[in-house]
Amino acid sequence: MTPGFIAQALAFTRRDLLRERRSGEVVWVTLPFGAVALLLIPIAIGTDTPTLRRVGVGMFWVVVMLFGVLIAVRRTSADSVAQRDMVALTGADPAASFKGAAVANFMLLVLFEVVLGVLTVVLYDVDLAGWLWIPLILVLVAAGLSLLGTLAAGIVSTGRSAAALVPLIVAPMSVPLLIAATQSFEGLRLGESILTWILMLIVIVLVLSIAGVLTARPLQETG
Amino acid sequence: MTTAQSPSDTAQSSIWPWIAMSVAGLITLVASFVAPADAVQEELSRILYVHVPAAWLAYVSFGVTMLASALYLWKKNLLWDRIAASSAEVGVLFTGMTLVIGMIWGKSTWGVWWTWDARLTLTAIMFFVYLGYLALRRTTDDLEARARRSAILGVLAVIQLPLVHFSVVWWRGLHQTPSLLKPASVDMDTPMVLTLLIAVAMFSVMYVAMMVKLVELAKLEEEVILMDQSDLGPVAGAAVVAPSLGGDS
Amino acid sequence: MVNHRRYPDAVSEPTAIVSLSGVAVRAGAVPILRDIDLEVHRGEAVGLFGSNGAGKTTLLRLIATLTRPSAGHGSVFGADLGGPERFDVRKQIGYIGHTPGWYPELTLAENLGFLADVMGCDRARVDSSLAAVGLSGAKDRRADRCSHGMQRRAEFAKVLMTEPELLLLDEPHSALDADAILLVDDLVRRTAARGGASVLVSHDRERVNALADRTFVIAAGTLQ
Repeated sequence: MTPGFIAQALAFTRRDLLRERRSGEVVWVTLPFGAVALLLIPIAIGTDTPTLRRVGVGMFWVVVMLFGVLIAVRRTSADSVAQRDMVALTGADPAASFKGAAVANFMLLVLFEVVLGVLTVVLYDVDLAGWLWIPLILVLVAAGLSLLGTLAAGIVSTGRSAAALVPLIVAPMSVPLLIAATQSFEGLRLGESILTWILMLIVIVLVLSIAGVLTARPLQETG
Repeated sequence: MTTAQSPSDTAQSSIWPWIAMSVAGLITLVASFVAPADAVQEELSRILYVHVPAAWLAYVSFGVTMLASALYLWKKNLLWDRIAASSAEVGVLFTGMTLVIGMIWGKSTWGVWWTWDARLTLTAIMFFVYLGYLALRRTTDDLEARARRSAILGVLAVIQLPLVHFSVVWWRGLHQTPSLLKPASVDMDTPMVLTLLIAVAMFSVMYVAMMVKLVELAKLEEEVILMDQSDLGPVAGAAVVAPSLGGDS
Repeated sequence: MVNHRRYPDAVSEPTAIVSLSGVAVRAGAVPILRDIDLEVHRGEAVGLFGSNGAGKTTLLRLIATLTRPSAGHGSVFGADLGGPERFDVRKQIGYIGHTPGWYPELTLAENLGFLADVMGCDRARVDSSLAAVGLSGAKDRRADRCSHGMQRRAEFAKVLMTEPELLLLDEPHSALDADAILLVDDLVRRTAARGGASVLVSHDRERVNALADRTFVIAAGTLQ
């Protein structure tokens, strides 16, 4: 009996998280790489503490966007033809495959954000105002970035230069996320309302989520 | 089945877009010099009669890309894919023009080639999004796969358009606030508005003319791809023959 | 060409699971196959031979719905091979290709467990299938730490677990020891016995001739 959508999606999520647990690609490679980036920035722009305090949050989000893309698209070039064939012949709902992969990417991105966030606070001496909102912002950005990356990987699929092209497509399209994230923190710092930005993040997540499900089958038909 | 075109018909159909583009360009040039100079920016303001229409037509181009992409996904007719891709090419051209002309204007006005103003930056981002769209189209020779993937990206990428436009309203920056398309009333003198509208109309003519040629070219490119993909000719296995084991046994 | 039915009790009347008519396949600009006419009926096994690069794997991938035809008409379980409905019949197809598609970081049991979860198979069948192919002792070994032959055996476990109606085997006898080779024969017979069909690509003519109802040779991109 064919399992339901959620059961199939969970199977894909479990697969990806298990693969990450065994390979450690995100935890032992991408995350340290992001940390190194945060370390390099002050070396490049100067170690003046007030300046770093001012730019810290922005640098954090840039690193999350650029390196987070690598988390979301890491499977694009890694999976072999035989592995893709194996999944294809399961007859799995492509939308379930999309959702499952996106959820796994989301969880890894949240981990990425939390660890780098702590590092940013330490290295850049950032004052976090309105810290109760921060978990929500981190979660929404991680959701948006994971959906965008998973969607882009599906669009580019197995074409030529796929691994190089996906970040090129994702990075500029993640700008609305970047703006909403940075403006949220700026708003918190100034004691202003950030509901507009939270709403924007929610809209982005909803749009990408729906787009991913709606495009899953048409994209499968290009394979 | 198409009727054969006479050589004169072929010559006329391929020439008029060039004529239209030339005439439209000439009219834009003349109009921009006939219009009065701005009281503050003086002669430099004339550059805006190219910069602003290029920006608007970039939005129109990407909007057409989105619509044609959606129509391809619905109708599965490659004509819509050709229109979407051609419009994206024109859009990238107009966006590039907007940025370069804007930079020239900015250097003269603000004293720097580039500022991290919201609209400028987001326009540059939009340029790269659609460069990515064009790059995506180069990743496969399968016409149907190319069309479908591009169409999906073409629909999703359009979210950049309202973001670029409203960014000036939402965030304050150095860039001029919208003079025409904003909640308050228009604050340009009438001759300048008229010149701007003429320039937009002429750029629209150029857009249509470019589209005619590009869609025509896209059709020819598809025909070449399909010719290369003919099932005639030697099969791949014909390249493999039995090994010849030489030497004395 | 062998032309007798080995498994006459499998079906009451023959029905074509695979039907190809004038089918051509390209890889980019290069034609691989042309004018392929083939029917594979329930209860039968078909063997395919051919030299390297002849298009055997391409034909198998076409039947597996992993490749689309560039010309002609083909169907598997009634689903057009060029249309979206081909995705709906994939669950009924068991395909064992040249290269195993296991996730290297996962154990054999975890790989099969993933497939069981996605396809709705009973998880208990993971262990029983691995036991049936003699891999009980290696079920908790990562796939990248298993030999090619072991990974091959695990693919047969997959087929035992999922029980597809159409079995497509590409060089099934390669990398297998004498015991495991018997698995191939057993799988083909079981599939035919329950009303399914098999298509085998192989260089081992003797073994395939003993197993198949009909055999073909692919040469110059066509079936002969």
